Amino acid sequence: MAEFTPVKPQERHTIPAKARSVTAQIIKQIICIGMVILVMLPILLTVFASFKTRGDMVNTSPLLLPTNPTLENYKKVFTDKYLYIGLGNTTLILAISLIFNVILGTLTAYIIERFNFRGKKFVVALFFIGMLVPTFVTEIARFKIINGLGMYGTIGGPILIYVASDLMQLYIYRQFLANVSVSLDESALLDGCGYFQLFIRIIFPLLAPATATVVIIKAITIINDMYVPYLYMPGNNQRTLTTFLMDYANAQQGSWQTLAAGIVVIMLPTILLYIFFQKYILAGVTAGAVKE
Amino acid sequence: MSSLAKKRRIFIIVALAIPVLLLVCFVVVPAVDLIRMSFTNWDGRSADYDFIKFDNYVSMFNNKDLWRSLGNNAVYFCVHLLMIPIELAFAVLLNSKLKAAKFYKTMVFLPYIINGVAISYAFSYFFSPVNGAFDGILEAIKLGMLKQNWLSDEKIVNFVLAFVSLWRFSGYHIVLFTAALQSVNHDIIEAATLDGANAWQMFRYIQTPSIMLMVDFILFDNIRGAMQVFDIPFVMTSGGPGYASSTFTLYTIKTAFTYDNFGLASTMAVAIMAIIILIYVVQNKIIHGIILKGDK
Repeated sequence: MAEFTPVKPQERHTIPAKARSVTAQIIKQIICIGMVILVMLPILLTVFASFKTRGDMVNTSPLLLPTNPTLENYKKVFTDKYLYIGLGNTTLILAISLIFNVILGTLTAYIIERFNFRGKKFVVALFFIGMLVPTFVTEIARFKIINGLGMYGTIGGPILIYVASDLMQLYIYRQFLANVSVSLDESALLDGCGYFQLFIRIIFPLLAPATATVVIIKAITIINDMYVPYLYMPGNNQRTLTTFLMDYANAQQGSWQTLAAGIVVIMLPTILLYIFFQKYILAGVTAGAVKE
Repeated sequence: MSSLAKKRRIFIIVALAIPVLLLVCFVVVPAVDLIRMSFTNWDGRSADYDFIKFDNYVSMFNNKDLWRSLGNNAVYFCVHLLMIPIELAFAVLLNSKLKAAKFYKTMVFLPYIINGVAISYAFSYFFSPVNGAFDGILEAIKLGMLKQNWLSDEKIVNFVLAFVSLWRFSGYHIVLFTAALQSVNHDIIEAATLDGANAWQMFRYIQTPSIMLMVDFILFDNIRGAMQVFDIPFVMTSGGPGYASSTFTLYTIKTAFTYDNFGLASTMAVAIMAIIILIYVVQNKIIHGIILKGDK
């Protein structure tokens, strides 16, 4: 029951409209600045700590800039060879997973979106269930399969899991395809172009903007993931950037300034991705949640 | 044309074979296998195991630490649930006439992008009892007497961790709400403005119904997230002191990979799935049946 009571004209004019909107704007700005402080505070204080000496940590307030800024803490992180091993493993896992995610994701979305075939409902339902199954707990049963394939302790395990289980790319591609005209496909087919050629020459390039979104979002998810590499890659030489930080943290024994430098280094890649590719990220994240 | 139809079928089969195979092997089969394993005493290694009927279920229900962990999940669930109206209000704010709205939107989503392990350590430092930043803030504003052992006091540790979780995930919900609000038809908004609707009426009668789908998703995401809280307590307290900040998933993973009891862990995993579905159904009933009753 929508019951709008119209505001009486004289009430509306007791405060000049302009003054009211200025006041509203100021209140909004104060709330938003409060939010920015809340978001930045833990990050900034960690950055402060990462430039402090041991003495500074004790003598200056955590809220203040270092009195004798030092790069020692960063030197320590960057001379740790496991950082580079982690970087290598993360890059490799990332590259292979993304390639497969893009190829399989575009193909699957294209077929589901553009073709009718027997069993389609079943296939769609299967992918839908795949999105609902909670990933953390299935790991107990998945572990058995990965182990049985001899993938435990190799980068193959995480790659298989990233390619098979995280299905947000299907939403992004399907949403994008829904807005692409079908006439292109048809004219290509009439020209005698086969389905595979049609896909490779026309559909795949057409999906490039969606692919950009998929690649960036997946990259952030995979770089930040701790759980899968922690379970499947226990060896020292199997560190990823994230699990490297866990080892590094344990080795610092509460020396916050050295750990802080490690935290900043590990945070940086995804923050940079976010700053440069924000548009794609926000588009993709919301696409994953909005059901057709 | 029949050769084209044949080509078409081959294309579909070849294209779908690998993705469907992967999905079945690594998602569907494990999910189903969990149920079977929940009736066994498998240790995760040996080739053979016994079917032990409902023993795992009995021992799960009698496990006090697990119940305690589930109670901790409830803390995350409630804190995040209470935050949803505020998140929605914030999204409305970001969508309204606001200078620098784009910058604020960037900032609000930043925590969601940041490495979860890294930020958990950053918060460990923030709440650290020795030279911790939060204690420093309290002292700076002359509230030093409120200092606590934020991460080792059983009574408050879960709320501190839930706060970290809020810090990380609220921006996600806000951005989703913003997107949903933007999809509200502008003609309707204009018509309502002409009819003299005020901001609250606009929100209640125009925007809220239009974003119910998103509310549904976020409520579901909240249940799924709250039941699966893992990395924040794992990194910041490893569930301690004792089991004071353990969560259901943390306990499940420990049961499997530390105590080698995959059978019991599977039972817990089945329970998590059941709880997620149960809360979702109940919550949906409440929201659509009571709160929005009479809207139509």
